[in-house]
Amino acid sequence: MNRSSGTKKKKNRLPVLAQAGPVSVWMILFVTLPLLFIIYVSFMTRGTFGGIEYTFSTESYRTILDPMYFSVILKSLKVAAVTTILCLLFGYPLAYFIARKPPETASKLIMLLMIPFWTNGMMRLNAWMLFFQVNGPVNYVLTHLGIVEKPVMFLYTDWLVNIGLFTNMLPFAVLPMYSSIEKLQKSLLEASSDLGADPVRTFLKVTLPLTFPGIFSAIILTFIPALGTYTVTDMLGGGKVLYIGNIIKNQFGTIRNWPLGAALSVLLLVITALLIFIYSRFAGIEDMEVV
Amino acid sequence: MKKAMAKGLALLMGLSVLAGAASLPVYAEETELNIYMWGDYISDDLIAGFEEANGCKVNLSFMSDNADAINKLTAGAGSDYDLIMTCDAYMESLINGGYLEELDTSKVPNAEANLNKAYWTDDIHNYCVPYLMNYIYVVYNTETCPLDEITCYNDLIKPELAGQIGSVDGARNLFPIALVALGYDPNSTNEDEIAEAYEWLTKYNENVVAYGSTEQNMVSGAISVMFTYDGNTAWAMDQMGEDNPLVIAPFTEDPVQLGIDLYVMPKGAQHQELAYKFLDYICDAEVMAANLVEFPYSCPNDAAIEAASDEYKNGPAFDFDYKTNIFFQEDVGDALPVYDQYYQMLKVG
Repeated sequence: MNRSSGTKKKKNRLPVLAQAGPVSVWMILFVTLPLLFIIYVSFMTRGTFGGIEYTFSTESYRTILDPMYFSVILKSLKVAAVTTILCLLFGYPLAYFIARKPPETASKLIMLLMIPFWTNGMMRLNAWMLFFQVNGPVNYVLTHLGIVEKPVMFLYTDWLVNIGLFTNMLPFAVLPMYSSIEKLQKSLLEASSDLGADPVRTFLKVTLPLTFPGIFSAIILTFIPALGTYTVTDMLGGGKVLYIGNIIKNQFGTIRNWPLGAALSVLLLVITALLIFIYSRFAGIEDMEVV
Repeated sequence: MKKAMAKGLALLMGLSVLAGAASLPVYAEETELNIYMWGDYISDDLIAGFEEANGCKVNLSFMSDNADAINKLTAGAGSDYDLIMTCDAYMESLINGGYLEELDTSKVPNAEANLNKAYWTDDIHNYCVPYLMNYIYVVYNTETCPLDEITCYNDLIKPELAGQIGSVDGARNLFPIALVALGYDPNSTNEDEIAEAYEWLTKYNENVVAYGSTEQNMVSGAISVMFTYDGNTAWAMDQMGEDNPLVIAPFTEDPVQLGIDLYVMPKGAQHQELAYKFLDYICDAEVMAANLVEFPYSCPNDAAIEAASDEYKNGPAFDFDYKTNIFFQEDVGDALPVYDQYYQMLKVG
């Protein structure tokens, strides 16, 4: 016992620099500086041949005001919202189910949820494409069972893009909600029912408000990545419908308009910051439930 | 002890400087060649053969996009690379910008003797050596395509083809076919014409199922028509077996795009003699013929085609009769951002 308290004392004496230093340096080098550079580039000019010309210009921001970009942003917000709602609708009951299991079972179930994420994201998407292609297994089963006459074209539909985003984001929604629900004291629910509330009322008046921080974290953790994603929409959408993430990617790739790409990234940052701000109105950042 | 170590270190450092100076003349004989090009695009045997013949080491680095090569060339790549692969579309700007070494073509006699001058045209002749080429044409599946025949680009916007087409992507691949269909120059710099081409492409876009992965989509049955590279077609035909139902659209009048991948020497390249030797080596008929076994693409080297295997010569992906009715992607200069703008609009929809 003496020994353990001794090590604890030693830990406490570690200088702040040693604890926060490496992370701070890392964050400054790889997060802060690149972010500042992106903001800087967004005010530069595009060279005819691509590349950046270092003359100040607000052209990129004026370009963004074009209604075309507004419609893309609206479309991206919509698809991100649909993904988030799906994740909440399916994720909350799942999180509730897992949280009510004994701890050993719960941890196994959480593990099951994470298993698909042991593989590379591109592999998962390619597997999806093989699975759903015209001569793939899904169509094979459907046609052989006589459910459909002709193979169904699943690929490159909005439907598949939404399903793809939903499955990719689901664990990020379930984990914070699970953590919230798990902390919920059973005695509160018992008290509610003792005082005459039916289960629906108990859920609406007790469970839901108490697990709200988890729900809000789930919203943040699914909505923001879904808004910026481009691989899922590129592959499952066939590159036909572009969202904000795809447009940004194209500016740095085929179109080679870096300043515009940077300005669009800044816009995405502003939207994200706005969301975090709204979140902080509803709940403290420190309440953000992340496992 | 410490002092002795410091002395030793100083001595070592001094020696290494001397050694560096002494070895300078040795390095003057070129033993290394640095090439930047597409990955999986040249035979390992060819490279090994060249290394053996010249007692040198060839370092290949690979690009992932045409833009990578352009970025390297315009940033001054001479100290890093001796040869860089780019395509014909960028040559005018690269030459005008002074980014390339002018070649002494008397040092590449095989190229002079074997390359077809239709592809190694006068305007680029002194700055590059063509390597391989690719056609972008239309292919369809006779069993599933709703149209009996596709003979021009305008067939592609017929409503019957809704949800049937797989297409290559990129502004400078898509706009030319629209411009040709409308009777304009495929490399137009006129904004009104580009705008009209955009209108045409919105109809084309309605028929397109997906951009990219054309050959996979054709093999899996997701599409019945593809606007794609000849190399992709060769792959799809191979996958679908000998009696595959794929045919190359019998175009009657519309020209098709031919892209040429070529080697250029960046300004100030370090190992120029060796680079000339390499360029001459790959233009040797037998060497290129062997390379074509592994990479059966279209080739500007007439003598190599002559020497190539029958399998290459009879390749079904090259079996079409309008090979000379072609257009090239030319430098459009300041019109490029205009193309990008309309391309963006097309994709945003």
